[in-house]
Amino acid sequence: MMMRKLKLELPLNQTQKVRFERAMERLKLLTSETNNSVIVADSIHEDALLLKGHGTSEVDGELLANVCGVIVHVDKLVYVRTLRAKYKPEVRDIVVGRVIEVFQSCWRVELNSNQDGVLKLSSMNMPDTVQRRKTSADELNMRDIFVEDDVVCAEVGCIHRDGGLELQASSHKYGKLEKGELLKVDPYLVNKSYHHFHYIESLGIDLILGRNGYIWVGEHVQVQDPLIVETRKEQSHTPLETRQNILRIGNAIRVLSNLGFTMTKEVIMETSNLSNKENIDLHDMLGSEFHVLVAENEAGRRR
Amino acid sequence: MEYVNPEGLRLDGRRFNEMRQIVAEVGVVSKADGSAVFEMGNTKVIAAVYGPREIQNKSLQKKNDHALVLCEYSMAQFSTGDRRRQKFDRRSTELSLVIRQTMEACILTELLPHSQIDIFLQVLQADGGTRSACINAATLALADAGIPMRDLAVSCSAGYLNSTPLLDLNYVEDSAGGADVTVGILPKLDKVTLLQMDAKLPMETFETVFALASEGCKAIAERIREVLQENTKQLEYRRAA
Amino acid sequence: MEGRVANMWRLTVNESKFVETALQSELRVDGRGLYDYRKLTIKFGKEYGSSEVQLGQTHVMGFVTAQLVQPYKDRPNEGSLSIFTEFSPMADPSFEPGRPGESAVELGRIIDRGLRESRAVDTESLCVLAGKMVWSVRIDLHILDNGGNLVDAANIAALAALMTFRRPDCTVGGENGQEVIIHPPEEREPLPLIIHHLPIAFTFGFFNKGNIVVMDPTYVEEAVMCGRMTVTVNANGDICAIQKPGEEGVSQTVILHCMRLASSRAAATTKIIREEVEAYNRERSLQKVKRHPTLAKSEVSGPTVAVKEEHRKSSDQEKAAEISREHVERLDLCSEEPRSNKEEEVTASPTNFKGGPSKWDPYSEAMDVDSLKASLASRGDSVTKSSSKKTTNGSENAEKDAEMSVEEVTGDLGKKDTIEATKQKDGEMTLKDAVKPKKKRKNKNN
Repeated sequence: MMMRKLKLELPLNQTQKVRFERAMERLKLLTSETNNSVIVADSIHEDALLLKGHGTSEVDGELLANVCGVIVHVDKLVYVRTLRAKYKPEVRDIVVGRVIEVFQSCWRVELNSNQDGVLKLSSMNMPDTVQRRKTSADELNMRDIFVEDDVVCAEVGCIHRDGGLELQASSHKYGKLEKGELLKVDPYLVNKSYHHFHYIESLGIDLILGRNGYIWVGEHVQVQDPLIVETRKEQSHTPLETRQNILRIGNAIRVLSNLGFTMTKEVIMETSNLSNKENIDLHDMLGSEFHVLVAENEAGRRR
Repeated sequence: MEYVNPEGLRLDGRRFNEMRQIVAEVGVVSKADGSAVFEMGNTKVIAAVYGPREIQNKSLQKKNDHALVLCEYSMAQFSTGDRRRQKFDRRSTELSLVIRQTMEACILTELLPHSQIDIFLQVLQADGGTRSACINAATLALADAGIPMRDLAVSCSAGYLNSTPLLDLNYVEDSAGGADVTVGILPKLDKVTLLQMDAKLPMETFETVFALASEGCKAIAERIREVLQENTKQLEYRRAA
Repeated sequence: MEGRVANMWRLTVNESKFVETALQSELRVDGRGLYDYRKLTIKFGKEYGSSEVQLGQTHVMGFVTAQLVQPYKDRPNEGSLSIFTEFSPMADPSFEPGRPGESAVELGRIIDRGLRESRAVDTESLCVLAGKMVWSVRIDLHILDNGGNLVDAANIAALAALMTFRRPDCTVGGENGQEVIIHPPEEREPLPLIIHHLPIAFTFGFFNKGNIVVMDPTYVEEAVMCGRMTVTVNANGDICAIQKPGEEGVSQTVILHCMRLASSRAAATTKIIREEVEAYNRERSLQKVKRHPTLAKSEVSGPTVAVKEEHRKSSDQEKAAEISREHVERLDLCSEEPRSNKEEEVTASPTNFKGGPSKWDPYSEAMDVDSLKASLASRGDSVTKSSSKKTTNGSENAEKDAEMSVEEVTGDLGKKDTIEATKQKDGEMTLKDAVKPKKKRKNKNN
C-alpha cells in the first residue's frame, strides 16, 4: 500500500521522466533555501539556552540528532521532526485503527505506532444510552460492539509514561466504520488540523484523516440520534456511483502517498477532480501518466 | 598463489587500500517500515526493518523499559556459487547474534519501551564481507524507519596476504587462509563496537590491519551519510506544503 | 542467553549497582584484582582425550573423539576438526535442552576459530588416504556449571583434551593399497595429535560505558557488564582470534590495551596446561607398569603440587606454594596409610568418622568463609569456594590448608574432619568439593 520509490514501481517513458523531473525540480526550488534537514549523528549548532527536545541528544557537550529529519525551532525549543517514523501519539488526536484482539474489558487496536492502543469498554459510548456504568453483561457482549478486524475511529485519551496508549470513543462520531476503504499512508503526511472528519456532500462520502496515517474513505453515515433505538440495522446496498467515488478518492490518496505529498482534504479533492477532468479511468489512476500529472499539478499549486 | 602482484595490484585490480564500489539505496521494500539495499562490489545485501511495534512474544522480553531488538541473518541459497544446503546454520546464528548486539548498542532502546524492532537481513549475493554489508544495510534501514540511534554503525573488513594489509577482501582473498579482521565502529563517537578476527596475526601486524579497516569504515560512513542526506532532503521538499 | 527467560535468574537493582560502584573503586565483589583469574584446575579422565576444567565456579568437560570419514571435496588431504557444545540445563536454568541456542553456537565458533583457523591442530597429519579417508576429530564440550566466563574454561578444556587425546594408529595396506587397517591400542600404541601451538582465550568484561575492564568475569559480573571481548592468543605472541560481538562501543586504546594484557598472560597459562598434561601423561605411563600403589602415588604427587597452586600474579602465592611443598613433604613422611585416588583417609582415623551423609551440613560453609576472609585480609588471594583435588593427590588439600591462615587449622579442623570423612565415604569427589579441604590436614596429622 505504501509505495515508496516511484521509479521502482512505475515505468516512466522518456517524456514522462522529463516532465516528472521538471516538476520535482520546481518543488525543490520552492522549499526554503536554508537546509534544515539532518541525519543521525549530525551535530546541531544551537544556542546553549535552548531546550533540547525530541530527536536530539547531548553527547560530550555537543548536540547530536538521533533521527533523520528536519530541525524545528519553536520559541525556546529545538527538536527534530522525523519524516518516516511511526506515529507518535498526542492526546486528543483523532486516529483510525483496526481491532486486533478482544480482551476482558477492552479492545486492542492497531494504530501504526510503537505500541497498540487500548480501547477500554468504559470509554466507549453505548449504542442505546449515552453514558452508564458498564456491567458484566456488557463485558460478555463486547463482541456485539467490535470484533477482530473491525475498523474503528477514536480519539487518543491518555498516554502512559511507558508509552502505553489509551483510546476513547465516547462521542458518537467515533466508533465502528463500515462500508468503505481503509488506506495506510505515512503518518508524517497527515498534519494536525482543526477538522479531521470531512463530509464530501457532492459525492456522499465520509473522509476521516487519522493522524496516525490511517485514512478512512467510506459511504456517508448519518450520525445516529442516540435516543432512537434501532432494533435491526438494515444492510442497505451502496449504490455503484458511491462506490466508484470512494475508489476515486482512495486512488487519489494512494497517488499522493506515493509521491510523498501532504494530505489535506483540498489536495485530495483537487487530485480527484483532476482525474475526472483528464478523463482518467479509475483503473488508470495508479498508472505513470496520472502520477506525473499530479506531480505537475502540485508544483503548480504550490507556487 | 599471488594475491598482490609486484606492482601492488590485487586480483581485481584494486590497490591495497581501495574499497570495492559501494551502491546504497533506501526504501526498497514497500511493506517494511525501513529498508535498504547495500552493495559492496559483488556482495549484495537487503535489510528490512519492522518496528517499533507491539511485542509479539512477551517471553522474549528481558528488559521492560527498553525496546526488544531481534535480528535475523540469512543467506539466500542462490547467494553463493554452489547452492547452499540450508539457510540457517551455525554461522547464521552467530552472525544474527553479533549483528543484533551491534545494532542494539547504537539504537536508543530506552526511548521505545515495550516495543519490538525486527531487523531482517538477507544476503542476495555473497562475495566476501557479508557481515559488514549487513551492518551497513541495517544502519540505513533503521535510519529510514526513523528509529532513534546514537550514531551510524558502519563496518568494514581488512586482511593480510602476501605480507600486505588489504582493505575490503572479496571471497577469493578471504578464503586464501590469511587473516580476516572485521571492524564495526560508531564514527562520530569514535568507538569500536564490533571486532572479529580469525587466523593468526602477530600483534603489530594486527594493529596495522585494524587501523586500515577503521579507515575503510570512515569512508563507508561518508557514503552512507550522503545517501541519507539525499533521501531526507527529497522527502522534505516533496512533503512541504 | 535467550530461551527460558521466565526461568532466568534476574539480577536485582541493588546487586548491579553494588557491583558497578565497587568496580569504580577497582574492587571486585569476590575480592580479586581487576585482571586476576580465578583458580584454574585441570583434571583428566580415564580415557584418552577427556578433560575437566574448573575455573572458579565454572565447570566444563571436554571430550575428543576421532573417526575415519571422507574428506571435504575442496580439501582432500586434510582431516577436519569440529567442535560441538552442549549447554546442559543443569548448568544454568536459562539453558534450554535440545538445539544449541545463540550463546552455545557462539562459544563453539569462538573456540573453533581459535583452534582451526589459526592452524593449532595439524590437519594434514590426519590424512590417511588422500581423497578417501581422513580422520575427523570431534571435540565435545559440556558445560556442567555456569559460573561465568564459559569461553575461557571451555577453551582450556578443549586444549587439554586435545593434548591428551590419542588416536588409533592405522596403516594402509591390502591388495591395492586402498585398505585401511586400524590397529587397536593393545596392538600398537595410539598416536597423539600434532599441535603446533596452544591458543588460549582471555575474556574481558567492559563496564561503565567501556571505561572499566575486568578479566574473567563471574556470573554476576556478566549480568552487569555492558560489553565483552574474547582475545585468543598463543605463547608466541600471535593473536589467533578476536571476538567482540557488538554491544557497548569502546575506544581503540582500550581494545589494544586488552590485547596486550592477553598477550602477556598467554605464556603463563600455556605453561600450566602443558605441565598438567605432562603430569597426566607421566602418570598414565606409570600406570602401564604394574607397581606398588604407594610408591606410584607418592612419586607423582610431589612435583605437581607446586604446579597446582600456581596462581598468576601474586608473589604471596609463590610463597604459599613453597610453604605447602614443605608441608607436603612433612606430611608424606608421616602418613602411613596407602593413598588412593579416592582418599580413603577414613581408615586412618576411624574415630573421626561419625557416619553418614546426614552429618554433612552445607551451612558449615560459614566457617570456611571466615577463615577465607582472614586469609584474604593477610594475602589478598583469590577467593573461591570450590576447591578441587588432584586425582592422585591428597596432599594438595593439605597444601591448601597451608595457604589459609595457619592458626585456623587447629581450631576448625575437628569439626571439619568428620564432614570431610563422610565425603570421602561417598566415594566421588569433584562436584561436591565446595566444602572444606582443611579437614584433610587434621586427618593426615592423625
